[in-house]
This record gives sequence, structure tokens and C-alpha cells, in this order.
Amino acid sequence: MGGLQKKKYERGSATNYITRNRARKKLMLSLPDFRRLCILKGIYPHEPKHKKKVNKGSTAPRTFYLLKDIRFLLHEPIVSKFREYKIFVRKLRRAYGKTEWSAVERLKENKPAYKLDHIVKERYPTFIDALRDIDDALCMGFLFSTFARTGKCHVQTIQLCRRLTVEWMNYVIASRALRKVFLSIKGIYYQAEVMGQLITWLVPYQFSHDHPTDVDYRVMATFTELYTTLLGFVNFRLYQSLNLVYPPKLDSKAESELKEDDEEDYAMNSESYTEKLSALSSSLARVVSSEEEEDAKLDEFPDEGEDMEKMEAREKEQKQLETQKKIFEGLKFFINREVPRESLAFVIRCFGGQVSWDKSVCIGSTYDVTDETITHQIVDRPNVDKQYMNRYYIQPQWVYDCVNAKIRLPVEDYFLGVNLPPHLSPFVEEKEGDYVPPEKLKIMALQRGEKLAQQDEEEEEEEEEEEDENEEEEDDEEEAEEKNLKKMEEQRSQGKSLQVKVTPGKVKVENPARLEQEEKAEEKRLAIMMMKKKEKYLYDKIMFGKKRKVREVNKLAAKRKAHDDAEKAKKKKARK
Amino acid sequence: MAARRRLKRVAASQSGFLSFKSPSDPTASVGSRRKRVNKNKKKNWNKYSDVNDVDEFLEDVRHQERTTGGLLSEKADDSLFFLDLGQPEKPQPQGELKRKGKASRPLRIDLILKPDSLVPPPKDILAYQQPNAKKLRRIAEKAERLAAKGVVPRKQKRLLNRRPIDRTVKKAVAEANNNPDRDYYDIWGQELSADPWYLQQTGKKLVKRPAKLNEKPSVLPAVEVIAPGGSYNPDFFSHQALLQEAHQVEVQKKKQEDKLERQLAINKKDKATEETNLREQVEGLVEEENDDEELAPSKEDDEAALAAIAVTQKKSEKQIKKEKAEKFKEQQRLTSRRQTERQQQLFQLRSIKASIRQQEEKTKSKQMQRRIKQEAQKAQPRRLGKLKFQAPDLDVQLSDELAGSLRQLKPEGSILKDRFKSFQKRNLIEPRERAKFKRKLKVKYVEKRAFREIT
Repeated sequence: MGGLQKKKYERGSATNYITRNRARKKLMLSLPDFRRLCILKGIYPHEPKHKKKVNKGSTAPRTFYLLKDIRFLLHEPIVSKFREYKIFVRKLRRAYGKTEWSAVERLKENKPAYKLDHIVKERYPTFIDALRDIDDALCMGFLFSTFARTGKCHVQTIQLCRRLTVEWMNYVIASRALRKVFLSIKGIYYQAEVMGQLITWLVPYQFSHDHPTDVDYRVMATFTELYTTLLGFVNFRLYQSLNLVYPPKLDSKAESELKEDDEEDYAMNSESYTEKLSALSSSLARVVSSEEEEDAKLDEFPDEGEDMEKMEAREKEQKQLETQKKIFEGLKFFINREVPRESLAFVIRCFGGQVSWDKSVCIGSTYDVTDETITHQIVDRPNVDKQYMNRYYIQPQWVYDCVNAKIRLPVEDYFLGVNLPPHLSPFVEEKEGDYVPPEKLKIMALQRGEKLAQQDEEEEEEEEEEEDENEEEEDDEEEAEEKNLKKMEEQRSQGKSLQVKVTPGKVKVENPARLEQEEKAEEKRLAIMMMKKKEKYLYDKIMFGKKRKVREVNKLAAKRKAHDDAEKAKKKKARK
Repeated sequence: MAARRRLKRVAASQSGFLSFKSPSDPTASVGSRRKRVNKNKKKNWNKYSDVNDVDEFLEDVRHQERTTGGLLSEKADDSLFFLDLGQPEKPQPQGELKRKGKASRPLRIDLILKPDSLVPPPKDILAYQQPNAKKLRRIAEKAERLAAKGVVPRKQKRLLNRRPIDRTVKKAVAEANNNPDRDYYDIWGQELSADPWYLQQTGKKLVKRPAKLNEKPSVLPAVEVIAPGGSYNPDFFSHQALLQEAHQVEVQKKKQEDKLERQLAINKKDKATEETNLREQVEGLVEEENDDEELAPSKEDDEAALAAIAVTQKKSEKQIKKEKAEKFKEQQRLTSRRQTERQQQLFQLRSIKASIRQQEEKTKSKQMQRRIKQEAQKAQPRRLGKLKFQAPDLDVQLSDELAGSLRQLKPEGSILKDRFKSFQKRNLIEPRERAKFKRKLKVKYVEKRAFREIT
């Protein structure tokens, strides 16, 4: 019986992993440097399947990396730069200690620096790869750009973040890529569609920072370092794709308009241009100046397998999108000073509206309050002293709700001092059979193009009607439960549309359809009868689940009704 | 030479010249007989002429010059003698004047040490000589000749041929990564500029990134949008749902805490009562009698051991044979039975197939479950270090905290923290704690004496 004795932990997973400390020693870096390198290169710790084996018998919790990853890190040219920097710091400290100011100056002049360009290229081999990972970059960029310049991070980083995010916003405006906006208690969520990729990012409200202590700023700064590089290159490419000049330049026409005498009041000469860019109020210069909208329709080549229905649906969607992009076209907005300017200007400009604000609020305003052609003034205070006849005074939520609803909503609900309808999240997509809040139903009805003339008429009338309808509805539902689920679903949807108003004439038309439905239901019942025991069991289970869901939805709807009634009663009392 | 001659002349002309050393005794020369020698030959002249006196004289002159800086006879009397007037009176201290004089006057010690010899120190001739002077001179002459002809030496030619350096242009400073004015370019558009062979040979080729590294460690999206209840002006029910969720989280936390407390609580049984105290005090004093019971079972054990020994006694030959035969028979029976079973299985084929199918289904379902579990695990934060991932608190505003309008909105939570937690949740960084400050040396507490006296 020959052969060498197999030793433990010399093969298999024990040799595939390396602990963090050993990796650090192998690279000859300090822990912060090692962490920085890992973040920049996109090498993350790994949880092994068999920890005890990897840890050579010990069960102590450790951070493990894959050995091959660390070997890959050994080739990185930045590692030597890190070491150089370490030496630089040591020399500088010594020079300071000896008060050799000339040496300090010389050292500072030759401060070692590195670039991350090659890492970006390496981690994101194609442009689309980069675009898929841009969410994080945008979040970090917007976050850092709102930081105060207090020494939590480098001022230069803040400036760079500001520049890049402004560039991004200008691109989104130019390409009209914005799709959804959601004002949450945390910040504002935006979603844009860029080159077929849905990109979501989160922007903090202004002046809302208290610096949390349990966040490692060094780690965050390192992420930002990488992401600023990435965002810059992505911006460049995106600007190129739209034939825009990069770095962005204002349109020559716009530039002359924005020329003012009192520019110096806002910013230094060096900064005023970037400030004007970040005002978002004017369009950008293009490489090819002939800037006629090229509305060349793409030729459609339907695939063999694709049926007409799908294509039609797609066409319809396309059409909807086109209309959505232009919902604010031709409107002229004026933003009051108490309203968050940047967010609103960004959203309005993304959908083709014109926007301006008071001269003293920010640089880059294009017209005054006194302009007679203004159609909407956005106000967020109980009342305004001087009102113009020919414009709507609305609350800012109108703009966001319009964007999410993809149509121009009626302004009446958003007038000055009116109790606003809830701001619904556009990121929720209801499945069939889920509870849908009535506000959303209303919007959906509007989208379908149904007139809500009656709705606007009078509330009292509506109340009574609604009650009756609801009673009917409930009766219907009871019946339906007894009968068949599918049918009940149908009924329910009818009931809902009843809620949103259906003229009584339509009911007659439905009769033949109803017959057909009954027939179908009968068929289904027979099919159920023919089922095997096993299948039947499964079927029953599924049905039970569905029923439960419906029950829950009904419960919620009833609750809502009760809530609404209570509110109305309160209102009435208040009126009396 | 001239100086010496001058000295001789001086010495001869002065009649009253006194030498330091007295000249050789005249009586000694008188005593011996004078030897007559012709001094007309140079040799004799050199040999017999007596130059001692001259030598002595010159030696004396040199001596005087060395030590006193000149001939004593030539010096003035004032420099040689002084009038002893006893201790001079100390002058009145006149601060400023005196100090001024002191600054200009050299120190006395310096004056003493100052050499007053007239003889200059010997010259180092080698210092004035140039090594290879002749060769160098010749080379210089040749260079001059060539320059006259217009021929430029190679060294100078190389200098002239060198490219001029523009001193005004500063060395390109490495630009910092976060420079706000840095420029970007089309990084994805440009192809590799250099020849791959060249790059490989010069060691500048970047190592290819393994494709596996581009996989994300988690399937979670980068930005998780807050629930609809988190809207600044939420729908009533979605807000309630969010509150409910937050409530659940809090309840769970409370449960955990309660559990811990319960586990840490003191058991009532463990508490000391009077009875237990008494028992403890009497422990060992009161004898209890239960020793007999322990002795009883030991007898039985002995018998069992004896039986075991009896069994192992040797078998007879007959017994062995019989056992062997039995064993053989048994084996045969088993084989035949196995054979028949196998034959019977032919008729059970259907049931066997069914059982196999069942087993396969079972494994399949198990595989499925495992896969589902693995998929679910992908969205979960992994254990990457000492600490487990702690989910951040849900950002919630209570009904009375909700602002009616955008203007009055008070943002909830910190986005920085949200981002940080998101990185942790997606396994990009390991969860860590802020390092605590640790005191290196132990603090020693000592009661002060004054205080101790009071207590």
C-alpha cells in the first residue's frame, strides 16, 4: 500500500480561498488601501460553502476572498501607485515635522496621482455594460453633489459630482428619456429609459443632511471615485449619441438670452457658466447645428412568429410614449420661490415645457412673473396676493402626477389651497386581482380617454349614487361567489367600471356577451367535474388562494369606502 | 643669501657686538701646537680653515631672529626694558569706553601666541606644480589648431546635436482623479492603440479580467424603490400597510429582546431559601445510610463473567464439523433463494419500474427545491465577516408627521446610510462596525487617603 499520505487542507476549497489578512499581506498593502483596491477593481468577499474546511478547521468568522481574484489583483498597476502614495505621505509628514517648507512645496507639486480609466474599460467591456451599472453611479453622484463643503470629503469630489450630474440631467432633458418620478419621504426617485435600459436613481432633497456616524465615509468616497469616472465616460458617449457638444455648451441663442448685467452677483466668472448649465433652463449646443427633429419612422418588419396583436400593442405603446414625451409641450411654467426649483425645472423640461423663475432665486431665469404668456404658475403656499387671470395657479404635485399618469391631468384637484389627492407610487404594478386604490382607477380611466364629466359635476349627488351602486355591487358579488370564480372576476371589473361611471345604456349591449359567458362557465364546470382527484385537489387549492385574495381586496375596498364616508361626513360638518 | 651677507657685514662693523654664547675658549687653542698647512689648495682650504666662529655667529643671528623677531642690538631700548613702577592703580570702570576698547583690541592670549618670527614658513613647491603639464599643454595647442581650422570635437558635436529642451514647459503633472475639470473621451470607441506583441514583450499588457468577476454577487437591484406608503402624500391604505410592516419589524425585535431577558432571568429554584441554606450548613454532618444498596448488584456481575469464560471453552471435533456443515447448508439455501428471487423479479418488472420512477420523481423534486432555495439565497445578504448584516430601520412617517405639502415635508432617514446599507446588502462590502477607541494602559483607581479616612 504505497502513496503519500494525503494531508488535510492542502487541496480543495481550503486552497481556493484566502483570508483577508493574508490577501492583504500578499499584496503588501495596508487594510484601507486593500479595501480601496477591492472596491475599485470590483472584487468582493465571498462566502465559502464549507467554512470550516476553508478555515482549516476553525469556525471563527472571517472574511474570505477567492485566491484567484487576489492573484489577479497582483497585476494591477494601481497597487504600485498606492505604495507610492504611502511613501509620499511619509515624506510629507517628515518635511512638515522638520518645518522644511520648500520640501513640502516640492513634494506637494509632485503628488502621485492615478487614473481609473483602464479599470472602467476593464470592468465594463461594452457601453451597455456600463449603462446597466449606472444606477449606483447616479445615486452616489447626486448624493455627493448635495454635500456641504465641510471636509467630510474632498471639495473637488463634490464639484466633480455636481458637474457630472448636471451633465446627466441635461442629457435626460435633451433625449426626453424621463419616465417616472416619485416623491418619497426619503428623496425623489426618478426613472429614465436610456438606450432601452431602465435606469432608476434617487436624489436627496436639498439641505436634508445630517451625517450619520455609522457610515464609513472612506468606503463611500472610494465608490464615488470609481463611479465619477464611469459616469463621465458614459456621459461623453451619450452626448455623442445625440450629437451634442461635450463638455456641454449652451445653445448660442440661449446663451445670448441669458446674458445679464448682474451676473457677477451670483457667481464668479469662472463658475457662472456651470451655474447656467445647472439651471437647466436652456437647451444645449449640438455638433450639427441643423437641428430639425428627425421624425423618420422606423420601418417595421414583423417577424413570422409574431402575430398582429403583439405588434399592434407595441405600436400603441409607442404612440403612448410619444404623447407622454410631449405632455408639457407648449406650456409655460413659472416656479415660485418656495418650490424645489431644480427638480421641477428638470421634470418640466424633460417633457417639453418652458420654465422660468424669479431672477433672485437662481441664475438662468428666462422670463418674469409678469409675462402674460405664462400658462401655469407653480405655487406651494396657501394663497397668493396678486393673481393673473390667464394662468393656473397649481401645486407642484400636479407636474409629477401628470408625468406618472402620462397625460395632462385636470388641474382642478391641484389648485391653490385645495386638499391634494394622494401621490401614488408609479413603481407599483398591480397584477390582476390586486387591490387598486380608487385614485389610480380614476387615472386609468382618464388614460383610456373616458370623460369624467359627471364626476366633476357634484359630490353630493355622487355620494348617493355611489351608495346604491355599491349595494348592487355587493349583491352581485355574493351571487358570483356562489357561482364561479372567473365569472365573479368579470363582474367585479364591471363593478369597478361602474364606480368610475358607466352609462346605463351599456348594460343592454352586454347581454349576448353574458349568454356566452354563461355557456363558457357551464363548460368549465363540466371540465371541473371530469377532473382527476389529484388535479381536482390542486385546482381547489389554487381557487382557494384566488378567493382569499379577492376577499382581501374586497375587505380593503370596503374599508376605503368607510374611510371615505367618514371623511365626507367630516367635511360636511365642517361646511355646515 | 643677501640677508645673511647683510648680517655679516653688520656684525663686523659693530665693535660692541655681544654674542649670546661666549666664543670658544682661546686658551685651549693656545695650548696645542699649531699645525702648519698650505692653504693654497682648495682641498686644504676647505679642510683646515676654521669657520666655527662664523657658524656660531650665524647660528646666533638666526636664533635671535627666530625667537625675538630681529637682532637684539637693533631693537630700541623701550622694547627690551621697562620701568618697574609697582602695581598700577586700577582705572575707574568707565563702562562704555572700556567696552569699546575691548572690542577693538585683540586678546592677550592671542598676542602671546602670535608668532613674531621673521622667517616665513617654508613653501610647498608641489602645490605650484601641475601634473602632466606638458601633455595638457600639447593637447590644448592641438585643440586650438583644430578650432582654427573649424573642426569641432566629438563631445561638443554631440552636445550641439542634442534636441533643445524647452525649459518653459513644465513637466506634465499627474492630474488628480477627482479634478473637477478633467476631460473624458470615448473609452469604448477606440481600439487598442499599440501592437499586442509589443505590449506583451514590454510587459505593458494588462492581464485579462476573468469573466466570472463581472457577475454581480447579488441579484438585488441597485436602487430599491420605497413602498408606495413612503410617498410624501401617501394613499391611506398603502400608508397603513407600510406602518403595519414597520410595526411587525418592531414586534419581532421586541420578541427577541424579551426572549433574551427571559433566558437571562434567575431561576426561582436557584434562589437560596432558608431550607437550602440550612441544608448547606449541615452538609456532611448528618450521615445518610444507603451504602448497602450499592453492594448488592456486584455479585451478579461476577456470575455473568464466569459464564462468558465457560462459553469460550474449546469445541470438540465433531462439533466443529457439524457447524461447518450447517454453515455450508445455510449458504446454499441462501443462494438458491436469491436465485429464485431474482427469477421472480422478472414478473415484478412493472412494480420495479414504478418504484424507480417514484424515486426519480423524488430526487427531481428535491433538486427543484434545492434550486429554489439557492435562488432565494442569492437575494439574501451573505455572511461575509464577523458581523451579520443588520437591515436598516424602515423609513416611516406616522400619520401626524405627514406633511400636507411639499414645502412642509421633512425628509426621513439618510440616503447616505441607505446607500451604504444597500452595498452591504448586495454583498459588495462586508458589514463592519466603527472601530472603538481602546485605552492602551489600564486606569488604576485608588481611594485618596483623605477620602478613606472619612468613610
